Amino acid sequence: MWREIGDRETGKIRPNLFANRIKWNRTERLQLSNHKDIVSPHKGSINSLQVDLTEGRYLLSGASDASAAIFDIQRATEYEGGGVIAKHKCIFSVDKQHEGGHRYSISSAIWYPIDTGLFITGSYDHHINVWDTNTTQVVVNFKMPGKVYRTAMSSLATSHMLIAAGTEDVQVRLCDIASGAFAHTLSGHRDGVMTVEWSTSSEWVLVTGGCDGAIRFWDIRRAGCFLVLDQSLSQLGRRPPILERSATTKVSTTKSLLTSPSSLTKARASQKKLANGSGMKQSSICKFPAKGPMRQRLHPGMLSSQDRATAHYGAVTGLKVTEDGMYLLSAGSDSRLRLWDVASGCNTLVNFETVRLQSSKPIQLATTQSSDLIFVPCMTTVKAFDVWSGKTSLTFRGHYECVNCCWFNFQDQELYTGGNDRQILVWSPSQLIFDEVDGPAHDQDNWSD
Amino acid sequence: MEEGGGKVRALIEKATNSTQPEVDPRLLKAIKSVVRYSDSELRLAVHALMEFMKRDHSQVRYLTLLIIDQLFMRSKLFRTLLVENLDQLLTLSVGFRRNQPLPAPPSVATLLRNKAIEFLEKWNSSFGIQYRQLRLGFDYLKNTLRFQFPNLQANAARIQQERRERERRSKEILLNKFETLKENFSSIKEEIQSTIDEIGECLDIVRNTGEESMLLARLDDDDDDDDIEEFRSSELQQIRRETLEEGEKVHENSENKVVFDALRELYKLLVTKHLVSVQEWISVLVRVEVTDNRFRDSSLKDFIDIRNLLQSVKKKCEESGCSLPKATTNEEEEDFWEEGKIELNKSGTVSACNRENGDLAIVSEPSDSKITVRHGKKKLESEGVGTESSSPRSKLLAEAPMVNWGPYLDNWGSKRDVLANQRGLELESHWGRVDYDAVIPAEKIAELNVHATVYKEEQLEIQQCRAPLRKGGLCQRRDLRVCPFHGPITPRDDEGKPLDQNLSKDEIASDSGTDLVEAEQLARQAVKNVRARDKDVARKREIDRQSMKHAKRAKLAKIREHNEAVLRDAALASTSRSATAGEDMMASDSGNASDRSKKQALASMLRKKVTPKDRLAQRLLNTKARDATIRQLTSAEDANYKEAFPSQW
Repeated sequence: MWREIGDRETGKIRPNLFANRIKWNRTERLQLSNHKDIVSPHKGSINSLQVDLTEGRYLLSGASDASAAIFDIQRATEYEGGGVIAKHKCIFSVDKQHEGGHRYSISSAIWYPIDTGLFITGSYDHHINVWDTNTTQVVVNFKMPGKVYRTAMSSLATSHMLIAAGTEDVQVRLCDIASGAFAHTLSGHRDGVMTVEWSTSSEWVLVTGGCDGAIRFWDIRRAGCFLVLDQSLSQLGRRPPILERSATTKVSTTKSLLTSPSSLTKARASQKKLANGSGMKQSSICKFPAKGPMRQRLHPGMLSSQDRATAHYGAVTGLKVTEDGMYLLSAGSDSRLRLWDVASGCNTLVNFETVRLQSSKPIQLATTQSSDLIFVPCMTTVKAFDVWSGKTSLTFRGHYECVNCCWFNFQDQELYTGGNDRQILVWSPSQLIFDEVDGPAHDQDNWSD
Repeated sequence: MEEGGGKVRALIEKATNSTQPEVDPRLLKAIKSVVRYSDSELRLAVHALMEFMKRDHSQVRYLTLLIIDQLFMRSKLFRTLLVENLDQLLTLSVGFRRNQPLPAPPSVATLLRNKAIEFLEKWNSSFGIQYRQLRLGFDYLKNTLRFQFPNLQANAARIQQERRERERRSKEILLNKFETLKENFSSIKEEIQSTIDEIGECLDIVRNTGEESMLLARLDDDDDDDDIEEFRSSELQQIRRETLEEGEKVHENSENKVVFDALRELYKLLVTKHLVSVQEWISVLVRVEVTDNRFRDSSLKDFIDIRNLLQSVKKKCEESGCSLPKATTNEEEEDFWEEGKIELNKSGTVSACNRENGDLAIVSEPSDSKITVRHGKKKLESEGVGTESSSPRSKLLAEAPMVNWGPYLDNWGSKRDVLANQRGLELESHWGRVDYDAVIPAEKIAELNVHATVYKEEQLEIQQCRAPLRKGGLCQRRDLRVCPFHGPITPRDDEGKPLDQNLSKDEIASDSGTDLVEAEQLARQAVKNVRARDKDVARKREIDRQSMKHAKRAKLAKIREHNEAVLRDAALASTSRSATAGEDMMASDSGNASDRSKKQALASMLRKKVTPKDRLAQRLLNTKARDATIRQLTSAEDANYKEAFPSQW
């Protein structure tokens, strides 16, 4: 470490690299923090955790007892054990007793990405509430057709304020905070939608994972989804081999990100080329639709809704787009973790050493900033996998029941996990030796004989 | 390092392979000393211990947990390594996950759970600050799963607090009392003094009326003189002195009755009120803690003086005889008690008689009755005689048998004929003439009055089982030979440990040992006989054939050996005891018999105990019994049917 600082001083390494190395080192040393306790006010399992994106200071948690709470993770409210243990109590919490509170379990609680003045909670009582943080009042309320599993807002969005909501219903709805109405209804899934995630590279692209095992990519500016991930389509390595055919599809998909109409025509063209056996995923659609006239009558944008390809056997329970927006990680109730190349829509066949994943609830995944590690709740433990090799690099044992969610704070490299045992645990980089001296002296060997 | 690792593992394995409720302290010490000086050993120990915790046997887990606790309280490295897997440890020791319950012997499993919870609490209270995992585990078990923690420290603190509170309160009370005493001291003193004065006056009055106060002193002088001058029997002297004293005492009569009444009142007041209150005040003064000791000391002194004074006055009063009523009541009480005793005795005998009369099974035997009669006579005679010399009478009484009360005692020993038709009333009989002179001869009467006794079993004090119970105390069951819960009844000490278990064991062992020795001697004798015979034969053969070669002789020897073996076997097998003894010898010869037995013990803990229910089930639910029942039922049904419809076939 000192050598690196020296190198940085002499200008041998760039500031970015230096920072990344430090961060990487700290991430490697993550362990259960003894000096930071979050005192959970929740009486039910924690379903959702998020640290605000602007300051990186306020942790928002949503729990099954219909309560949501906000913690200041920088400044402790009180100290215990001679100032060694910092207790973080919630700044405030809203629960059933609150006049605008949810009646049933809060499944998802997220910050408004632009500032900490608003936060959004989605609940099993079919409602999505938008709260004013400062007054703790509900400012907008959306009634959904079914239980809300997950809500998401795009952190990049500059031109819209849409909450994407995955519910029991087959349709994904986009709720507009500005108008208080549903802006879009995206249909294509055949079962409830467990997870929704905005792309980190384009403010228009939404990824959804459903109970039918499908992962669909939507461009909200046009009808229908433009990409359905298929687990049988795979590529080895981080980039698809440069072949002519895949190159064309790649062009089409990448183009589709930019301009939708052109990709539409491409898609139709590829369907006509079915006889030639250009066998990528979009062409495989046409095996299912039976009649020609039917196909013709269908709206062009709805074509891909006929695609029944699945990304997982069983439900897709978790999605996470890497920070650069090039890859998508998905977790399914088949206890698999898959890494998808967004550009090609292929499964990269990375074998993650998962043991077992919770299958009944959506799980919240987290990645490091450089997307080297992914944190996955595996039943009672949280595991950190190397994204590119799938090897387990760290295992966090601390919860006594299933873990539902985790959040990695980029700023101070801390991991927050919440589980069914009602605890929010903080995992922080282990302190260096010289920091440990100030602990009470009586944690020593005590051999009487 | 490699072989060292084996060492700690082997030690742990040895320590956990036991059915005892404690880890062998020597092994534990060995483990600790091995682990103390080597970190790698400690790491290995952690792994080994976690492995043993996974064993499918609660006893092993329990012992492992005890070792873990020992190391946990001592080594920091051990703690840091162990808390990593704390959830697993708790799963295995507390068994809070439904899909991983604790393994087999249920009694040990509950013990294991309790111990684990207790340890977790202890660890949390001493190291919780350093280890978040401990806090988490404790919190989870306590607040989520609602396990009941023994709460040892809190309890101790609470008890301490309560005691302090009590002490403080009692001190306060004492202080209050002290304050009131300070205020009322003079009045109390005055009151007592006035009572004493009154008593003194009363006594004076009484003495003056008696005019015999001088006598006592003179008498004493007399006595002394007598003692010096001449010999008298001490008894007589005593009697004389008593009478004189008695005479000297002033007796209550109509004149001084009022004075005596007043004296009695005052005495009562003195004893029941003043003396008690003075005692109390003294104890208060002794216990109270005040900054200013002067008043306390002085008043204490005063009180002690007052007490002594009171006691002397009390004594005087008693001497003067005013405390008579109390004595009489005492006597009455005693009398009453004695009477009660007698009554009890009487009632007992009466009930016995009743029982005797009411009982149907009357055993009567003429010879026996004669004996009793004879003895009874003796007894009567002796009663007659006994007035003069008590010693022969008591001797005879000791000899005489007890005879129960009965109607036959009415005419005990009378050999008179009895008039049959004399009832003392003149009644006209309608059944014809009555012969008033009809006589029942004496023999007949004797026959009718034959003494009948009921056989009474000798009351045996049945021993209590006195085996120690799990909840404390001793088993109070009284069984003749075998307690159904604790096996054969043996004499036990106050703690319920059998007194002579070892002794009896030794005896048994020595018994079997002697038997064994006998058997062996027998075998040896037999072998010797056979060998002698063999030798004879061999000698003959040698004489016969001098040119025998060594090889042949060796062969012969081998045969002989074989014969010996066969014979020994036969001799040993002749008694069953000796056969088993032989086996035992074999077993003790083989090296690791003890090891095997230990393992069996561990396995035997897992074996299910056969309950009476099981046995009944085995009896009642086997196919044979079931078939029989079914057959019976169906046949009964058939019979019913046939009865109902006799004409149908």
